[in-house]
Amino acid sequence: MPFWRRESATPFLLLTPAMLTMAFVVVFPLVFSMYTSFTGFRLTKPASLYDWVGFRNYARILSDPEFWIPFGRTVLFLTVVLNVEFLLGLGIALLINRITWGQRTLRTIMMFPMMFSPILVGFMFKFLFNDNIGIVNNALQSLGLSDGAIPWLVDGKLAFFSIAIAEVWMSTSVFAILLLAGLFAMPRDPLEAAKVDGCNAWQTFRHITLPFLMPFAYIAMAIRSLDVARAYDIVTVMTDGGPAGRTEILWTLIGRVGYDNSRMGMANAMAYVSTILSILFTWYFYRKLVAARRYMGGAQ
Amino acid sequence: MRKITALMVGTALVAVAGMASADETWGDYAGYTLRVKLIGGAQYEKLYAEIPKWEAATGAKVEIVSRKNHFELDKEIKQDVAAGTIDYCVASNHTSFAPQYGDIYIDLNGVMKPEVLAEFDALALKNATVNGSLVQLPRHSDISNLFYKKSLYEDQANKDAFKAKYGYDLAPPETFDQFKDQAIFFAKAPDFFGTQFVGKDEAITGRFYEMLVANGGALFDENWNPTFNSPAGLKALMWFKELYDAKAVPAGSLNYLWDDTGMGFASGTVAMDLDWAGWAAFFNDPANSKIAGDVGLVRAPKGDGGKRSGWSGSHSFSITTTCDNQPAAVSFVTFLTDHDNQMIEARQGLLPTRTQVWKDITAEFEAAGNPFMVEVFNTYSQSMAEDAFTPPLIEPWIEVSNVIWPNLQKGILGEMEPQAALDDAAAKAKVIMEDAGYIK
Repeated sequence: MPFWRRESATPFLLLTPAMLTMAFVVVFPLVFSMYTSFTGFRLTKPASLYDWVGFRNYARILSDPEFWIPFGRTVLFLTVVLNVEFLLGLGIALLINRITWGQRTLRTIMMFPMMFSPILVGFMFKFLFNDNIGIVNNALQSLGLSDGAIPWLVDGKLAFFSIAIAEVWMSTSVFAILLLAGLFAMPRDPLEAAKVDGCNAWQTFRHITLPFLMPFAYIAMAIRSLDVARAYDIVTVMTDGGPAGRTEILWTLIGRVGYDNSRMGMANAMAYVSTILSILFTWYFYRKLVAARRYMGGAQ
Repeated sequence: MRKITALMVGTALVAVAGMASADETWGDYAGYTLRVKLIGGAQYEKLYAEIPKWEAATGAKVEIVSRKNHFELDKEIKQDVAAGTIDYCVASNHTSFAPQYGDIYIDLNGVMKPEVLAEFDALALKNATVNGSLVQLPRHSDISNLFYKKSLYEDQANKDAFKAKYGYDLAPPETFDQFKDQAIFFAKAPDFFGTQFVGKDEAITGRFYEMLVANGGALFDENWNPTFNSPAGLKALMWFKELYDAKAVPAGSLNYLWDDTGMGFASGTVAMDLDWAGWAAFFNDPANSKIAGDVGLVRAPKGDGGKRSGWSGSHSFSITTTCDNQPAAVSFVTFLTDHDNQMIEARQGLLPTRTQVWKDITAEFEAAGNPFMVEVFNTYSQSMAEDAFTPPLIEPWIEVSNVIWPNLQKGILGEMEPQAALDDAAAKAKVIMEDAGYIK
């Protein structure tokens, strides 16, 4: 009897369409883009797809500070943005959880920033932080808090801060929603037991609520770390990585090399090196997630 | 009843006659759908509102498969080239971008009527030509001239103080040195600035390039070796740096693009603005601008080489080599750039590419009693005729620009010595030119 007629083959046959689909939409593009990273492929010259250059693109990247400085900046950006989003999201979730009237409306309003296109958010914050006609400087000057035009998008630290604010404004609700879902799912018994045992509010939060919420927080962080590591639209609109490369992050650099300069082979090599970052963050958060669940007596 | 029938027949005959006339002009492509990719944005949309007229005249339909800003459109077209999916007939183009696209667009010299091409400005057509092929039909052009706030120059106290400080009379600047003196003189940061500049992307590369040329320098020598790190290039970079250090420009200038400079000048907080004509009507419109009625205009200043800055280019339309109905595409791009449609764009201040439209739009503004717009078109007409030059029409131009502008910023901000910043950019540009095969 041929293999495909045996009963044991049925699961494989049933899975075949799904496997083929996965191969077509995931594996093939990955293999193709990896192949191009070993070529001198230029978008505007399709024939260059066959210019095999071996590890030359990778060798150039590994020895190029103009790649590693944005790499380091992206790690810093991720760290700052994820922590701020977590703290704000936790605060918002705890506050909304306490509300007994109008909670659904507030939950919906909280989602509004996520509904904006990142490009629009970038333009909005670019004009808010414009040093000459921007509302932030005008407000600071009108209130007497500043007598100069603060160059929000030019000074290296301030530009980093301004972009982080835009990113945090748009996506804090991801944390808030996931943590709120955690709060809704939280059993009342441990909280009541803590009250009976005489725990104060801080002790209850620190030793019961927070550990219970941490698996939700790590899921949010894993999702957002992939998002933020690919931050492109907001940064492109607000500073385009400048001035003088002061806000250059991986994806503005890769976008410029791949599209503006048409060097897609080199850009793909950069992208593959940068995936190390995403893999490291994802691995770290999943380890923390498993540890948090183990602490709560969940899955091993 | 007989009268009604006669009226209906008469109306139908007039309609048929009208259609016949239209058909003779634009052709008959009934049932055909023309796929196009167009540049989007407020100042470009008025023209697209005319497309239904072409559809009515030809019986064809226009499907706009993409409408994005030029940078996004550029990325999309490059993806189409890489994927081999150019399944549209017409695309917006620009003289600075066109050399990148290889041979995806047809030579219009072979397909457009010579008498139609003869109605276009010869320089605009020359600048639209890549490797001897007219790959784009210019839609409107741009070049910058100097807008200024007139009242500042009429103020006697300003005149006296300026003369005492700089030793010459206060008048709209004729040279970039005077431009710098006056910008520093008028600046009272953070409330008021002498001028401003676009500070990133190809925008600042272009400004640097035109000042380099005005100073007597060049981007490349005859063998395509970069030469912009010359004394003329250093002088151009120092112009930006000295204005920035003197706080004569807004601190955020290095992050500014065209919208920021236009809005900044219209806000009344800037004395001078080197900008394109597309802002002219906006600057003088009391509904949008705080300086309406107080706007003066002179030609762009001269550099040390005695030449005026004149970085110029044209937005344009191209027809793909894969187009399945080239006559329809030719008809469409001819329609979009015909006299009446260029008049529509010119009324907004966009510079036409047909010589007759220059005359007619000026006459129209004269008749309407709008001396400001007459002055705008006269000034820009002169600079298009005498000062205009494009960046090198070479495939790696944008890539070269992308190594120049970050280093200009480093030089301006003091992160690198200006000469070292230019030398470093020139070394990187040389590698690009070698990789692209221009330097053997």
